[in-house]
Amino acid sequence: MNYFRILNTAFALLMLLMVAGCSSEAKRPVVKIGYMLCNSEEETMQRFKPLTSYLSDKVGVDFVMVPVDTNDFEKRFKNGEFTFAHTNSILYVILRENHGAELLASEKRGKFGSRTAGAIIARKGSGIERLDDIKGKRMAFGPMLAPTGYMAEYDLMLAAGINPENDLAHYTIPSGSFKHEKLIYGVLYGKYDVAAAPILDIENMTRDGKIAADDFVILAQSVPIPYCTFASAKGTDPTLVKKVKDALMNLKPGDTGEADGEVLKVLKAAWIDGYEDLLDSDYDVIREMAKRVNMPPYQKY
Amino acid sequence: MTRSIEFWMTMATALLLGTVGVLLSVWGNPENSGICVSCFIENSAGALGLHDNGNMQYLRPELIGFLLGSTASALAFRDFRSRGGSAPLSRLFLGIFLIFGCAVFIGCPIKLFLRLSAGDLTAVAGVAGLLGGVWLGLRGLANGVELVKPSQGNASGGHLIPVLFVVLLIFLFMRPEFLLFSVKGGGAQYAPLSVALAAGVALGALAQRTRFCITGSIRNTFLMGLRTPALWGLLVFVVAAAVSSMVSGRFNLSLYGQPGAHLEHVWSFLGMGLVGWISVLIGGCPFRQLIKAGEGDADAGLVVIGMFIGGALSQSWGIAATAAGVSLYGKVAILLGFAFVACGSLLYRERSR
Amino acid sequence: MFRDFFDKSCWGLLAVALTALLAVLLVDAANRDGKSARGSNKAMEREMAYHARVELINKLYGPVEVLRTAGRNQEALLKLDELNRRYPGEAHGHILQGLILQDMGAPDEAIASFVEGIKLNGDYVDDKSPLSRRREIQGLVDIRSKDVSARVAANPDNRTLAGLLQKTNYLKSRLAGGCE
Repeated sequence: MNYFRILNTAFALLMLLMVAGCSSEAKRPVVKIGYMLCNSEEETMQRFKPLTSYLSDKVGVDFVMVPVDTNDFEKRFKNGEFTFAHTNSILYVILRENHGAELLASEKRGKFGSRTAGAIIARKGSGIERLDDIKGKRMAFGPMLAPTGYMAEYDLMLAAGINPENDLAHYTIPSGSFKHEKLIYGVLYGKYDVAAAPILDIENMTRDGKIAADDFVILAQSVPIPYCTFASAKGTDPTLVKKVKDALMNLKPGDTGEADGEVLKVLKAAWIDGYEDLLDSDYDVIREMAKRVNMPPYQKY
Repeated sequence: MTRSIEFWMTMATALLLGTVGVLLSVWGNPENSGICVSCFIENSAGALGLHDNGNMQYLRPELIGFLLGSTASALAFRDFRSRGGSAPLSRLFLGIFLIFGCAVFIGCPIKLFLRLSAGDLTAVAGVAGLLGGVWLGLRGLANGVELVKPSQGNASGGHLIPVLFVVLLIFLFMRPEFLLFSVKGGGAQYAPLSVALAAGVALGALAQRTRFCITGSIRNTFLMGLRTPALWGLLVFVVAAAVSSMVSGRFNLSLYGQPGAHLEHVWSFLGMGLVGWISVLIGGCPFRQLIKAGEGDADAGLVVIGMFIGGALSQSWGIAATAAGVSLYGKVAILLGFAFVACGSLLYRERSR
Repeated sequence: MFRDFFDKSCWGLLAVALTALLAVLLVDAANRDGKSARGSNKAMEREMAYHARVELINKLYGPVEVLRTAGRNQEALLKLDELNRRYPGEAHGHILQGLILQDMGAPDEAIASFVEGIKLNGDYVDDKSPLSRRREIQGLVDIRSKDVSARVAANPDNRTLAGLLQKTNYLKSRLAGGCE
């Protein structure tokens, strides 16, 4: 009988421990991160799931990914649907100027580190050799809120005295996902004469063997500008903000995060090289460009 | 103290060492490395084909001059006495670790003070380490540690190292094909041969007469306080070097951007700490070992051989530090050195019953 | 040391050995006719190997230099990317990248590239080396070091700037010389 009593007590203790474990996990706060869609929702989720899991482990909260279309981002951020935002740099400037978002970290990717550039490209051998030659030609831009797929190139053209609204045969923005790749292929296969291509996409496509470095002529290129950015909503708990920032800044190539039952290297999965601690003043170049191009948050109607 | 000729000769040696140490840089040796026994040994080991770092291959005339100057002085004053035979293998290994310590700091005790007097604040950690190492060595001796017994007896072989260096001198002038010379890097920076050789001989002779030694000066200061001439010699050396640096426009007071210096202060401390500890146990810093070997001390000769081996291994195995920092192998070498000396201190200690 | 037959024999042997040594050296010197004593001149071989390497590097990276000289820096970077994938760990790629990034207005990234290149091969700051880019690197460091220090002083907690300052100081140290 004693034996059974001991067994029962042990079983009860075990159940208590398990329940205690469960309840401590349930106590972790849930915090949402809004991820601006890059090429597609599927790709964005795939890239940043390990990072989100890594942040949860390091910070001790349960981060939840919220994929958000670029054009809906500001509205949903304003509504408080997420605390942290992962966006491009023009969207960060909009959130900062209009809603007081705080800069956390800037993503390093490619030759220019946390910066990248926009370029106007033409196919080699098409006869378009200089920027002036694009007058009267067919051009493709990336989405309008793309700093290096639209804004930088528009700015380059204005600086060269070319008005995109009047001096081109026409310009278009490809529909659907993977817009940047579409317009680069479009130039390669003759659908467009010139395109506004982010240097990062050209670098990646060259590295993947999708295009060759010799396929294109770069007619003009912007100065390097900041690109993908992590920000926090105004009024977020400073301790939480610091933990997230530290976790991002301390990311090393060997760090892992979970995604759909797999353990993956965070930086490799996200296609990034790490994070940098830029200053908000480093984004002034974006602000100046946006003003010249009449883009949010400085647009005048 | 000031009445003795020994005191003034020590001051003269120190003055010459400090001034020439800077001038040799002005005349072509690498920056802040006008005199650096460990760097010279690494360069000379490379010249003899003992390692393959193409930037560190030059048979340094200063090194040959130190030893042969000591020999000449010893012979002239009938001081040359072939002696030795005590703990040969221990001395060999201690010589290896002596250079490892210097290689991790990037400089011998002479270069340590040359760097300091040129305003290189990264040398401060090295000075602290050297002081600590000397203190540790003295504590060991006071507690009966006798890793190596002092050189005694009429052991033959004390003339072999001076003969070897005469052969090296012949090599230097004859330039046989197996002798390698860097065309770039630190090994391609050197003062004119005659100047370097003459400076080495003069310093070697003076150091033999005065027994000048950096770690010995620190040791004597710990033991005898301010009375010892050696301390004043060290101060004169530092002041002379500092003045020479300022006059030649090479003084740059800064922690950063110093030639041949890294910012891993802990390893600078430990590297020089190991050098200090070993120097006390074997009776002198690398420079002093060369001088003693020139006088016929075969035990010091074995340390010199060990230093050459250490110089070769420092380059071949990547133990030597660079401006980028200390490699894993360098750190391992230092820690193994401390372990080696600590083991020796435990095993070779006279314990009172 | 001249007491008995054995002593005398040793002296005789010593004299013969030294005489023979002298004779061998003199005869060899007379007959050498400029040829190497060991059949090959190690120093010359090494020098030739180094020059061959420099020639090969210039040939391989030539197309990148051509694009750079023509002012087509981004295309030069893309071409360089291809070469870097083929020859990872080659210092020349990092140095060229630094030069191009410097021209493109990315000095911080240029500094990082130079650091990577010089850590692999210090020839690029050695005036005596045909690969030397000391002037360009010195110029960049001279321009940027005050600016970087000022930015660090204004933002003492900024990790990126602290890392950049460390890299700048490393370049300053390598440019200052010393034995390495």
